[in-house]
Formats: sequence, C-alpha cells, structure tokens
Amino acid sequence: MSQALTRYQSLFDSVRSRARRPEALRGLDKLAATAAMRLRNRRVTPAWLRRQAELIDALGPAMRGHSEAALADRLATRVDRGRADEATVRGALAAVREAARRETGQEAFVVQLMGALALYHGRIVEMLTGEGKTLTGSLAAPLIAWRHRHLHVFTVNDYLAARDASSRAGIYRRCGLSVGSIQQEQDPGTRAGIYARPIVYGTPKQIVADWLRDQLRLGPIRSAWAGRPLLAGDGAPAALVPGLRAALVDEADAVLIDEGVVPLIIARSRKADEQGQMYKDAAALAARLVQRQDFTIDAVRRTATLTARGRERLGPMFDDLADPIWRARRRAEELVRQALSAAYCYANGRQYQVVDGRVQIVDEYTGRILPDRNWEHGLHQAIEAKEGVEVTADRETMARLSFQRFFKSYPFLAGMTGTAADATAEMERTYQRRVLVIPTNRPIARRALPTRIFRSAEARWAAAADAVEAMHKAGRPVLAGTRSIEASEILSRRLWAKGLTHKVLNANFDKDEAEIISRAGLGAGTGHGPAITVATNMAGRGTDIELDDAARAAGGLHVILTEMHGAKRIDRQFIGRAGRQGDPGSCQLLLSLEDELVRLNAPRGAAVLRAMARAEELRGRLLHAARALMRLAQRRSERRDRASRAQVLKQDEWVDKHIPGM
Amino acid sequence: MIERPTFSPFWHRVRTLRPRLRPHVQITRQHFRGRRWHVAHDPASNHFYRLNPVAHDFVASLDGRRSIDEAWKLSLAKFADRAPTQNEIIELLGQLHGSNLLSLDAPPDVEQMLTRSGERRKKKIKQQLIGLMYFRLRLFNPDRIVTALEPFFRPLINRVGLALWAMLIVAGLAAVAPRWGELSASLSGVTNPEAWGWIAVAFVLLKAWHELGHGVICKRYGGAVPEAGVMMLVLLPAPYVDASACWAFDSRWKRIAVGAGGMIFELGAAAVAAMVWAALPQGDPARDVCFYLMLMAGVSTVLFNANPLMRFDGYYILSDLLEVPNLMPRSMEMMKHLFKRYVYRLPNQRPPAGLRAEWWLLVVYGVLSLAYRVFLFLVIALYLLGFFFVVGVILALWTAVAWFVLPMGAFAHWLAASGELSERRGRAILTSAALAAAAVVLVGLVPIPDYRRGTGVVESLAESGVFTGAEGFVVEAFKRPGDPVRAGEVIVRLESPELEANQRAASAQLAGVLARLGEARLQDDPATAAGLEREERYWRQVLADLGDKRQRLAVRSPHDGVVAGLDPMRLVGAYLTRGKPVCGVVDPARLRVAATMSQAEASWLYGLSAEELRVTMRAVSDPWRPIEGAHVRAVPAAQKRLSHAALGFGGGGNVETAPNDPEGVVTRREQFTVYVEADGPALAGATPGERVRLRFSLPAKPLLEQVVDRIHRTIQGRVDL
Repeated sequence: MSQALTRYQSLFDSVRSRARRPEALRGLDKLAATAAMRLRNRRVTPAWLRRQAELIDALGPAMRGHSEAALADRLATRVDRGRADEATVRGALAAVREAARRETGQEAFVVQLMGALALYHGRIVEMLTGEGKTLTGSLAAPLIAWRHRHLHVFTVNDYLAARDASSRAGIYRRCGLSVGSIQQEQDPGTRAGIYARPIVYGTPKQIVADWLRDQLRLGPIRSAWAGRPLLAGDGAPAALVPGLRAALVDEADAVLIDEGVVPLIIARSRKADEQGQMYKDAAALAARLVQRQDFTIDAVRRTATLTARGRERLGPMFDDLADPIWRARRRAEELVRQALSAAYCYANGRQYQVVDGRVQIVDEYTGRILPDRNWEHGLHQAIEAKEGVEVTADRETMARLSFQRFFKSYPFLAGMTGTAADATAEMERTYQRRVLVIPTNRPIARRALPTRIFRSAEARWAAAADAVEAMHKAGRPVLAGTRSIEASEILSRRLWAKGLTHKVLNANFDKDEAEIISRAGLGAGTGHGPAITVATNMAGRGTDIELDDAARAAGGLHVILTEMHGAKRIDRQFIGRAGRQGDPGSCQLLLSLEDELVRLNAPRGAAVLRAMARAEELRGRLLHAARALMRLAQRRSERRDRASRAQVLKQDEWVDKHIPGM
Repeated sequence: MIERPTFSPFWHRVRTLRPRLRPHVQITRQHFRGRRWHVAHDPASNHFYRLNPVAHDFVASLDGRRSIDEAWKLSLAKFADRAPTQNEIIELLGQLHGSNLLSLDAPPDVEQMLTRSGERRKKKIKQQLIGLMYFRLRLFNPDRIVTALEPFFRPLINRVGLALWAMLIVAGLAAVAPRWGELSASLSGVTNPEAWGWIAVAFVLLKAWHELGHGVICKRYGGAVPEAGVMMLVLLPAPYVDASACWAFDSRWKRIAVGAGGMIFELGAAAVAAMVWAALPQGDPARDVCFYLMLMAGVSTVLFNANPLMRFDGYYILSDLLEVPNLMPRSMEMMKHLFKRYVYRLPNQRPPAGLRAEWWLLVVYGVLSLAYRVFLFLVIALYLLGFFFVVGVILALWTAVAWFVLPMGAFAHWLAASGELSERRGRAILTSAALAAAAVVLVGLVPIPDYRRGTGVVESLAESGVFTGAEGFVVEAFKRPGDPVRAGEVIVRLESPELEANQRAASAQLAGVLARLGEARLQDDPATAAGLEREERYWRQVLADLGDKRQRLAVRSPHDGVVAGLDPMRLVGAYLTRGKPVCGVVDPARLRVAATMSQAEASWLYGLSAEELRVTMRAVSDPWRPIEGAHVRAVPAAQKRLSHAALGFGGGGNVETAPNDPEGVVTRREQFTVYVEADGPALAGATPGERVRLRFSLPAKPLLEQVVDRIHRTIQGRVDL
C-alpha cells in the first residue's frame, strides 16, 4: 500500500514538473520580470553575504568544541521546507561546515561560506578556478536538499560525478542525507534507486536522457490521474526521475549557456533504411562540382548553395543515376548540397573524428569527443560517405530537449562557475537568475605576458613550440591549450621534433585524464623535468592543477593559449588554470591571422593585416590593430552564438505553443 | 533559389500524432486564376483556412488512424518534390490547430486551450484598441432575422432581379436628371447644422438596410450570418453584419454578390428616394428626408463601400474580381518582400505571389493603398481637429501611433534584432538611415508650392441701391440678379389701388370745381370764381402729384449695370412702403471679391508682400474658368460681421455664424476681410453676390513646414475661443 502511494507520489511529482511550461517572456513582460527578480533578490548582496559569512565563521570555535553526538544533534535540527530565518540558516551552515572539516580536514574560508550561502539563495556564483568550488558546493548541497527534498548536482562528466559523490558522501551522511551518482553503465533499476536519494550527482546528459525516456514512456499525460494505469503495470517505477525540484550546476556557464541549446536527442535507428549508396552517390556528385563556379560555401553557417551553373550541370548527372530518388529534383539537390557541406565545412579532427571506422562528433566548445551522438537528417551519413567508412542507418528522433529548457523546469536553480560574469545578462534573461562574483581568498599573482600575433598559423606553431621549450628550460611546467584535436596534434608533432616529452589530452574523458591534468603542475618527478601538457580547452575541467615545490620555486605554471575561442569566457577559464589560490603563474596568448576565429568573423580585416605585415610576427601599430581585430572577431562570434541560442529558444517555444502533443 | 529543407528538427513532436479535421469542418473548392484551392471552414467558430491542392491532399489523408509520418510518406510518394516538407507540415498543423480546425487523438490539453483562447481574446482587444477609428461593438446574432426575411427577397436574388434593379437605378437617375440644378442647390444647405440630425438618421437607417442586403444574399446562398453590431466609423456609428461565411462559397460570383449586396440594396433605396423626391412638392419635409437618403447613399458608396483601398465591400469585391485572395495582407507582404529583396538584398526570399500578373497586381495595389492610407489619415485628422478638438487630437494621435509609429517600431525592431538580417545588419541599417535621410530631405528641405484656400463673394465697387418711390403692391418684376439693365429700364412695377382711387376722387373733385367755376363765371361772380380758381389749382396740383407718384410705381434702374443682391422676383405680390430696397444695380466693370478669414488664417497673409502673393479664383457657377487675381488687400481690423450672408453657415459658406442671428451674418469669432481685385475685365462674367473659391499661392516651402503650419493654424483657431 505504502509502496503504491510512494509510486503515485513520484508519478505526481514527475507529471507536475512536466506540466511546467517554461516560457521566455518578451517585451514589457520581460522587463517587468527582470525588475521583479532584482527586487526579490535585493537582499542578497555581496556585503550582506560577507556579514552573514563572518557571523557563521564566528560560530566556528563553538562548533569545533561540540562532541560528535552534539554535532549530530545540531545537524538534526535542520532547515526544513518553507522559509527559515537567517539565524537558523547560519547555525545549519556552521554545523555543516564543521561536519565537512571533521570528514575531510578542510575548513571552509569565509569566501566559501559566502558562496555556499549565495547558492542556497539560488544564485549563479562566480568563483575563480582553484577557489574550492567543490567544498563550497558540498556545504550548500545539504541545506538545499533539506529544503527542497531532492537535489540534482550536475557535474561535467561521469568521473567527476562519481568522485564527488563518494568523496562528499561522508559529509552528507552526517547530515542525514544519502547520495548517489548516475553513471553511464547503470541499468534502470539501479538508477531508480539512486534517483530516490535526496542528493544525486550526475552529468546533464545522463539525467536529461532519463527524463526524456520517462517522457516517452509516460506519453502525453498531463495529470497524475490520467497516468494511473501506468502504476498498475509490472511494478517498474512509472517514472525514473521523480520530479525536478532543485538543481546545483557546476561549470554553470558551460552547461547553461554554451551547451544550453544543444539538444539532447533520443533516437533509434531506422529499420530497413538501405540508403548508403544514395549518400555515396551524392558524395561522388559533389566531388565533380567546382567551388565558386558550381556552388558557394558559407563557412559560418556551414551550408552550401548551388549556383545556376551548378544546377544545370547536375541535371544530366542525376539522369545517369538509377535510383528514383534522383528524379525528385529538390531532394536530389538537397542531398548534393549536404554532401558539399560535408566535404567543405566539416573537417576530420575539428568537427568530428574518425575512430575505429566510425564518425564521432567533436564538441567544438570543449574539443571533446561526444560518443553516441549523431548529426541528424543525413548529415552524419554524408560525412560517413565522404570519409569512405560504412554508412550507418539514419536515426530517427524520438524525443529531444535542450538543456536550457530542461533547467528552466527546475523551481530552484543555482550554479557555480569560474567565469559567469561575462554571461550575466544572458543568465538573467534566460534563467532569471542573478550572477554573484565571490572575491578570491587570496589576491591573484598571475602575470599576463603580452599577446603575440603571427601572420601565419605555421609561424605561430613554431613560436608556440619555442615558448614551451624556453619555459621548460626555465624549470616551469607548461600547459598549452588548443582549440581542436587537430591543432593539439600539430603542436604535439612540433614538440616531439624538439625532443620535448609531453602528454596530450584530447580524447575522451576518464580517470587517466584527470590524473594527467592534476600532474600538469609538477616541476619535477616526471622523469623528464617539468611537465608539459597539451590539451584542448575543456580538458581536465573540474580537476585542480596543484604545483609542487619545484614548480612553485621556478615561477609556477605557465599557460599558453594558441588560439582564441568563440567566447571570452572560455579563454578566461583556460588562463585561470595558472595562478590559482595565490600561486605564482603566468599566461600568454599566441595567435595567428589564419585562426578560425578571425577567418570566419573578420575575414577582410585579417586579409588586410596579412597583406600589410612585413615580418611573420606583427609588431608596433600593426600588432595593436590585430589585437583589436581579434577582440572584434570574438565579440562577433559571441553575438552570433547568442543570437542563435535565442533563435533556437524561440523555435522551441513556437512549436510548444502551436503544435499539439508532447 | 529558394531552399526548402526536407527535414525539421521538431518532426518527432508531431510524427506519431493521428489528427483529423474536426467533423463539422467543411471544405469547399475555389478557383483563383485557374488554380485550385480548398477552403476549410469551421461554421462554429467562423475560422477559415486556405489550402493548396497538395496540402489539401495531405490534410484529407489524415483520417484519425493514420499518423502524420505515414501521411507525409504517402504525400512524398504521390507528389515527390511538390510534397510539403516537414517544416511546412509543422507550420500547417500549427495553423490548423490554432484555428481549431484539427482534432487530435490525444486528450485535449485544457490548459493549452485556455491559454490559447485567452491569447486570442487579448489579441482581439489589442486590435480593437489599435483600430480605435473603426471600433466594433458586437451586439446580437441576426441569423433568425435574416432567415425570416430571406424568403421575401429570394425571388429577386437572381439575374432577373439584377436587371430589375438596374432598371430601378436608371429610373431613379432619370427622375433626378432634369432637376439637377435644384439638387446641387440643395447640396449647399447640407452644411447647415439643422440638417445634421436628419442626415444622421438617414445614415443609420440606410446602413441598416445596407447590412440587411449583405445578410440576405449571404443567407440566400447558404451562408450563416452569426454576428451583427455597431462599428464606430470615425465617430459615426454604422451597423455591420458578419457575412464572412461567404468566403467558403465555391463560386466567386456568389461571393461578389454578397459583397455587393449592401450597395445593391442601398442604391436601390436611393433610387426610390430619388423618385419620391422628384414627385413631392418643394417644402415638404419628407422631400428633405429623401434628399438626405440619396445624398448619404451616394457619398457613402463612393467614399467607403465601393472604395477598394479600404477594407470595406469594394475591397472584397475587387479581391474576388481579380481572383487575388487576401489582397491587402499579401500586397503588404509584397511590399516587404520587394524591400527585403531589392533594398536590403537579402537572399532566399520567397515572393508572396506565384504568377507574374499577380505580382504586379499586388505591387500596384500595395502602393495605392499605402498612399491612400496616408491621405485618409491627414483628411480625417484635419476634419476631426476642426470639429471636435480634444477628441480629434486624441484620435489623431492614436491613429498616428497605430498606423505609423507602431509599424515603424516593428520595423526598427526587425532591423535591430531580426535573425534574417544577421549577416547584413550593418548594411541594412546604413541603407535605412540613407532612406530616412532622403525622406527627411524630401519632406523637410525641398520646397514645394504651398496653397491656401478660401471662399469669397463677388461684390461691386460701384453699387447703387434701387428703392421703391411709392407704396404699393408689386405686380410685376422684370429682372433677376445677374440681368443687365439700362438706365431708366423698369425693374419692378407696383400698383396702388389707393392711389388710383385718390386720383379718381381728385379728378372728380376737379371736375366739380371746374363746373362750379364755369357757373360762377357765367353769373359773373368774381369773388367766388377767384376762390374756385384757387381750388382748381389745388386739385390740379394734387392730380399732378398723384400722376407723378404713379410714374414712380414703376421702379427703374438708376444707371446701366447688372441687377445684384436681392431677387426682385421674390417681391411679386408684396406690399411695399415707400423707400424699401428692391435690389441693387452694380457696374460689372468694377467688381472685386471679398473673402473672410479667421485670425489664424489671415496671419500668413500679412507677412507677405503683394508680389509674393498670387491668387487664382474660380466662380462656383463656372469652376472650369480660372481667374487670375491681382491686388490683394487685407483689412487689418477684425470684425464680427460678414460682408455677405453667403459666406456664413446659413448661406452655404464655411464661416461659423452665431445661431441666434436671423440674418446669418454675425460670426462667432472675429473675422478679417480680404479684398481681391482682378485686372481688367477678368471678373466681368461673374455675378455680384456669387461665391468664389480662392486659391492663394504662397512661396514654396518644405512639406513638413507646411503641415506644421496647418496644424498650428487649426489649433490656434480653436484655442482663442
């Protein structure tokens, strides 16, 4: 009986969360909502937080004096649902802080208390890399879980989810909360058990996928009453994810903004879809066309457009093919255009990587391989045909949901990140959450060396290799960031040519990678002097790079960024790896006028500067102009990404509003 | 080339749905320019949706059992390239669903339905607010009335009926044609405020009859008439009915018949009124009502109903005649398309017209209706400002916001935020700025001729009054105003029975005196004879006086000239004492025009020298002959008295007169007088007392300055009450 009630309760929660239709407001409504949000949040200012944190800090000695039993007693009088007064919250946070100290030996600083408190109040918190986000999050998590019953903590990858869930479990146990982490390989039964716990760690991908699978299973039901036949079923839980209550997002800018509009898709392979030959034919046709005469390429949008001449030439080519699909002119041309964009806009090592005879998508923000993801509507097949690997069956979308819409379904949302301040406006607009910058515990001691800009990519790689060598000789560990897997391989070859032993990080994420990155700060003990690490920008996010004494003495970690990214935040994130926690460190940008950023966003400016440059390295006034151009290109790229995110959201909403069904 | 991508990322949301059209949705076939279309009509909600044959085939294949995905594949197999793409299907489903034409297998989403109906209501309110000039108030469902009345008209709603109607119109015109002059004379009485009440009554009655016409014909062909109410047409209430059910009629002639039904009924009523008007004697009040009926029918037909540039009957008729459905929205689309394509040079633009001929129609119509909209706005705004100042200002501002400011705002938003422009925004903004600058230069800097209009009355510099020389009854009048007279020519002749009796009595007395005088001379009585001689002289004198008086009973012109002023004919039968004015006689060689202007109107005149000011005059009686004026002289003193009653409201002029002045020459506000003389004999043909339209040509000024000036003048004219 009680089990049936619990199941009904979980179904009810689940259906209720689904019934929330997050809708973006427009015009005056938007202004009003933003104003209301600011008004609601006016109390939680940095000054207020600091006062509160200091009051909590003052409770520290008393807490330390408590016996284990007394502390457990303190933790039992917890912040429950409903509003809690400030003193209760302070007491609870002080107790959790003490529990964390006894469990891990780390005592939270005042700034970390500030962060935890801000999280509890539903803010997006910016804390610089190495300021102890993990500890801050684990202080806030029990408070949020007490108050909202279920808390989902989102991490960047499965490894971090498992690591944090187990390393923090002790703290949560003392607070009377159980914790679990969702992992790729778990079966639904195990997952259901974990989802039932108050604190669940997991990646957005896993949790959104489970949520979507629930959605497919539940179908278009809009009330728990309508869904009650599901309960009479085979005893498997009706919904895996029991409602969305509270979310704590680590690396909030990456998850909420950059990946915010990347939809998660549940797809199945089409049956009886033997169209491999069709894509191969299209690739062969595409190869016979000449760029600029038969077609033009839009590198920014990644589309190909046929010219009148191209269409004329294609006519007889279509007639030579047997398959009736080529008789339908529009569809046939569409296939050829797709083959053209596959050939000219998608490159192995940048947008995708061929691994074991399969085309795998590479996340362009993170440089990571996204396993089990496919492009839709034949693009994936077109690329497979181009690469000459086996053409897989097209997959049919069953359900899709963008992270943005998923996270908007949470009544409570808080987040932590190293670099949210650049995206403040967008956070406020999209999620109605304010961004709060928490000061660093110690002042930053990182030195930024002047940016160098080169005429060609070739010269830049040479300079980058030289710079790595110079720093290495000076006894400092070096971390070189690249934008794509392809680029990291280029740099790696150059370093091997110089006889520098280094590690390359660009493949999939796992434990090894976290280990490599955690050793990137070693100045000695690697067997070949200070560590050299080449990594795509997101590699090792969430893992601290700690310096050893040798490295610290030599001047700390030196970060070289070999290309600017599409958004300034990502550059800042990478640079932030040097000089954490008041450590010494330095960073430098080595850019070229052939980088993708300027090539796509400021092609004319780049061409003019390339023509004007006398030497390979730009100097003087030209260097200033080039820097300005780079910034302009980055701003343009940010603006376009922002616009495209808004566009996706708008489309989503249109469909939601006008199309019946799910 | 226009790209239509086959796949949509949102397909999964619809692919498993198994919808079908709601059972009561009716689909009719229509042909436009040789192409087949299908119109889905939901009689319950009166929603329409037009489908092309391919889309119709797709919708028709949705039977509630087939999923969208299956239906799409069927369509692909059948039509290959012409089949709708996934995106097009999603859009189609969205629109059908939004119009409540589609029913789904899923249980209805009540929340979504409520949201949607709430949104629809909000949108309706917003539309009402924007179109405050055409505010609609829904009152009742007239279907029963129309159904009851329809059988009476049914025998006439066919070709025979149309022929009969044509004959009626011809008969009406024939009745009026011979009395055209009288008709146009009555027209000048319309500005008289006393007539306005009658006009309003005639208008409302006529429009109710008009709407009945739409309703009855719509009913005749099987359409429902679910709504009737009152529409505020620029502050004038006019009834309306919703005959949109006719949009689903298969034959366009039936649709045209419904559209024209109102005018057919209205003009028929006007023809009957014309015949009654012609039959009734002058002065009968029923005759006035008939006149107003004719007038309103004519004016409203020309200005509103038949005018295809506004969304009234004529628009729908034209749209069906041209076989271009949704003419107005599509021509606006067309203008936008042209702009995007040729001014902003955006790629991948699909024109809203498929055929070349339609393309041109849309462009021409778009330009005309835009121009008309601006024109109408200015006219209505000035009209309202003139009559109801405060309300007028509010309405004018409101309409300006709705018609110009909101679209400009939408345009600015498009320019700033549209995804379409993303790559070309910089250039688009520059182009727009250049266009705006060109417009500013054109409107604000390029001088354009400026005209001011006024009304004046012809008067003579040499005018003498003609008065009666003796009392008597007027028995005959020989001249009318405008007739030339020579010196000494008789204008009216009076008769005085008293005078004749006196003459007879005096003659008798004289005869008696003479008889007695002869007797006295015979008796040689010199004393008596001397007395009688005195008496004789006296009576002779009396007779001479009376003869003289009798002479004066014929009133003669004092000099050569033209009869002007009062009409002597109207005196026939009247008894006049001595010294009463009969008419005036003026010298036609020395005429001038006197015009009256308000202070604000006159103010611009004083600032100009005589060389700068040119006037063209046109007599009301002969508007095709322009007369060049010279020597403009403004009298710099305000007065509250008109020089002629013809300039005031009562005399058909446009100067507001005090209502309590029987003569109609005392004005409500102070007026200035301007005299205009012509060179040589230019005015010779004009008749003194006749009204003249004046057009003052001012130095050329930029348009903006002119408009501001005019608004300023209108406001000033109101404020100094």
